[in-house]
Amino acid sequence: MGYEAVIGLEIHLELNCMTKMFCNCPNLPGDEPNLNTCPICLWFPGAIPQFSHETLEKAVITSLALNCEIQKESAFDQKVYYYPDLPKGFQLSQAHRPLARHGWLDIIGMDGRTRRLRIRHVHMEEDVAKLVHETEGRTPISLVDFNRAGVPLVEIVTEPDMRSPHDAMEFIRALRMQIRYAGSADCSMEAGTMRVDANISIRPEASEVMNTKVEVKNMNSIRHLGDAIAYEMQRQEACVRNGEAIVLHTRLWDPDRRMTTPMRGKFEGPCVPDPSVPAIRLSEEWISEMKSRLPEMPGEKVERFINQYGLSRDEAVMMSSERDLSEYFESVVKENIAPRLASHWVATQLLPLIRERQQNIAESPVTPARLAALLSMLAGEEINTSSAKIVLTQLFERKDSPEAIVQMSGFSQVSDKDELDRLVDRVMADNPSAVEDFRNGQAKALGFLIGRAMQASQGKANPKMIREILTKKLG
Amino acid sequence: MSIDTFVYRNTSPPPDAAGTPLSGKRFSVQPNMSVRDWPTGAGSLALEGYVAVENATVVGRLQMAGAYIVGSTRMSEFGLGICDDSSARAVVDGHADIALITDTMGEARMAAALTGLCGFKPSYGIVSRLGLIGLVPSMECFGMVARHPADITAVLGAVVGPDENDFSMVVDGIPDPGAEKGDGDLRGSFGVVPEILELLGKEEIKIFRENLKWLEMNGWKVHEVSIPDFALFPVIHNVIGSVEASSSGGKYDGVRYGYRAQGTKNWNEMYLKTRDEAFGFLVKTYFMQGAYFQFENYQAFENACRIRARLLRETQRLFEEVDMLVLPTRRHGFPADTARSVKETYEAFSFTVLSNITGQPAIHLSNPRGGKPFEPGVQLVCPHCADFRLLSVAEQLYACWKGGY
Repeated sequence: MGYEAVIGLEIHLELNCMTKMFCNCPNLPGDEPNLNTCPICLWFPGAIPQFSHETLEKAVITSLALNCEIQKESAFDQKVYYYPDLPKGFQLSQAHRPLARHGWLDIIGMDGRTRRLRIRHVHMEEDVAKLVHETEGRTPISLVDFNRAGVPLVEIVTEPDMRSPHDAMEFIRALRMQIRYAGSADCSMEAGTMRVDANISIRPEASEVMNTKVEVKNMNSIRHLGDAIAYEMQRQEACVRNGEAIVLHTRLWDPDRRMTTPMRGKFEGPCVPDPSVPAIRLSEEWISEMKSRLPEMPGEKVERFINQYGLSRDEAVMMSSERDLSEYFESVVKENIAPRLASHWVATQLLPLIRERQQNIAESPVTPARLAALLSMLAGEEINTSSAKIVLTQLFERKDSPEAIVQMSGFSQVSDKDELDRLVDRVMADNPSAVEDFRNGQAKALGFLIGRAMQASQGKANPKMIREILTKKLG
Repeated sequence: MSIDTFVYRNTSPPPDAAGTPLSGKRFSVQPNMSVRDWPTGAGSLALEGYVAVENATVVGRLQMAGAYIVGSTRMSEFGLGICDDSSARAVVDGHADIALITDTMGEARMAAALTGLCGFKPSYGIVSRLGLIGLVPSMECFGMVARHPADITAVLGAVVGPDENDFSMVVDGIPDPGAEKGDGDLRGSFGVVPEILELLGKEEIKIFRENLKWLEMNGWKVHEVSIPDFALFPVIHNVIGSVEASSSGGKYDGVRYGYRAQGTKNWNEMYLKTRDEAFGFLVKTYFMQGAYFQFENYQAFENACRIRARLLRETQRLFEEVDMLVLPTRRHGFPADTARSVKETYEAFSFTVLSNITGQPAIHLSNPRGGKPFEPGVQLVCPHCADFRLLSVAEQLYACWKGGY
């Protein structure tokens, strides 16, 4: 009998707000420990939380980017537990009345078909402090850094719609793309601004039962998420085959040993409505305003790029995979560059160079205007492709305009008919056997002769004209 | 100045505040009301040595209005009950004109009732709670005790109004001292809740009826209005109050400030021992009750929230029939000043918790004749945000009282 996995995800995203969620401290958890704290986020007696409007806006934008229905009324609850990383014995979260419900994202399944994965709800939540365990002499001590306490988060809870590591990884990729487009969170598993926990159970294939689940935490990349789920599926299947019961608990992914290890029983503390943070009531108008602030999302953008610019679907998907990239592409096109030429050069030439230099396309020294100037010379046959590639590399190192670099480096293409005539004559004279081969019907020999001519001109000859002249003289 | 009455005395001289609304008025606060740089222990070992880092909004507004805060008085732990409270004593002994007292279940009215003063609890959400260190955020507020309602009117006028740092305040309808202070004849109708009679002794019923008769003789109409579940008010207050207290008290863990137990091996032990040693009997029992509802019987808490909403609706409906409710404040045989258990405390405060649950303003007026041995006075409750009307009525009643019984 075969087994299938039932997987649901709980994703915590740090919103990129300027301040914390209930006070005006900067949202900079990485600063010097306990620098960004105040009576509210340290929960001094007598302090009252002040819910930040920016958190609400970014949480709503996030929810809209995940196709959720924003709830007109939501409220904060206290998730009660005692731990030194929690300055007040409870965490402010939205357990009973979340901000948004009923979202979805589409992914391409392993069978190549589009699948819609449902999101149960999105709620707001404050982050907790960071514990640092050290020793003082021989005494173990625990230090608390409250910079992260009160940092605004959203938690996204999916339905258990995923069946494989592939589904989960694709879901996270799709989610990351949507949220980065919306601009409300950075979504880096590596940097800890996106934390993904997976709830996994298994059941006989084609069955509808929901068996006891196990929660797996501590994956800090999408690859680890996939590996942890694959490991946990195998582990549970082995348990079932050995007649062992699956117990509800939490496991940690150990990236070095590439396995999950038990951490603790799954603890669900009580959630009590919070009396100090007012309930949130949103009007239809305000929600519409938030919708209008959402940028064009990747799905729509792909269709527009196909229709407006005549890109192929693959090219359009590539050019809209990130918001910065799509904006870069459109800026180049606006400088009167043929869209497919722009897309081709950005994808195959520019991006690899940017990646090599670990730069960001929005901050690259090769601005859209500079790339456009280069491509415009290429399209106008002032330079050839190989020269253009060299100039592009130089644009990363030099502040000069592409035109100046072409001038200074002597890359200007030779399109003078007499000069090229003489060049072709010389090449034909130097390679009589190739000329003979062509005349005997070996078409390949033309390419060889063009290559020789280009070489002789140090790459500066206009290849199109060389071909024309050669064909004429050989014919 | 009695050592027993004050735990901290202001060492700065009174301000030169001529021409300000509260010029010359002396206030006492409790040590759970933040005054910058003052010890603010809230009557609890949990906050031993804690010093306030900023002023409560109310404290700042009083100072702006020219008031002089003479010191902070002894208080019950976190202001729950009045067993160890000396705020009314500060007024009785002439050290202060007005005492501020945390009102979580009726403490201002009760302290006044026991000392022949008047005690007032404002509408929930019209006075900032920022800097008030309490346990039950949805019910507590700054209460006031003074000799005469006019003093309370002046104080409320100085502290009422929105505070951009207290997000729990009401958004619309905060009363404006100038506009709301009714003039002229305010005589209207009082509602009496017959269900309270079941909770009173014979002698108390007799005196309460005499008070009602006096009101009628002075031109007020008195009607019976029913709250069938009146006996539920203390129960609902207990369930919701203890749950909120259990959460509010969670921050006293010894990690960041306040008392921390010594000689513990790890942080679990530190938590347990710190919290075991830091709280007194009443507060600890209250926390345990709240934790029980949070962890073991959440359904009961949800039911209590639903019943609270219903009791609020029913009470609001009564104000379509009458202008105000008139109730006794205290019960003979259930003294608040010696109540040390949760049960004794709720028995003592049975008549006052209503307005803490509904958020409506309430005032206790002692009969200035000061009848002995047992003269309960009356408690008036009016619709939310009608605070200045309530105070005007109180002033008018005082005038009648002074004029003769």
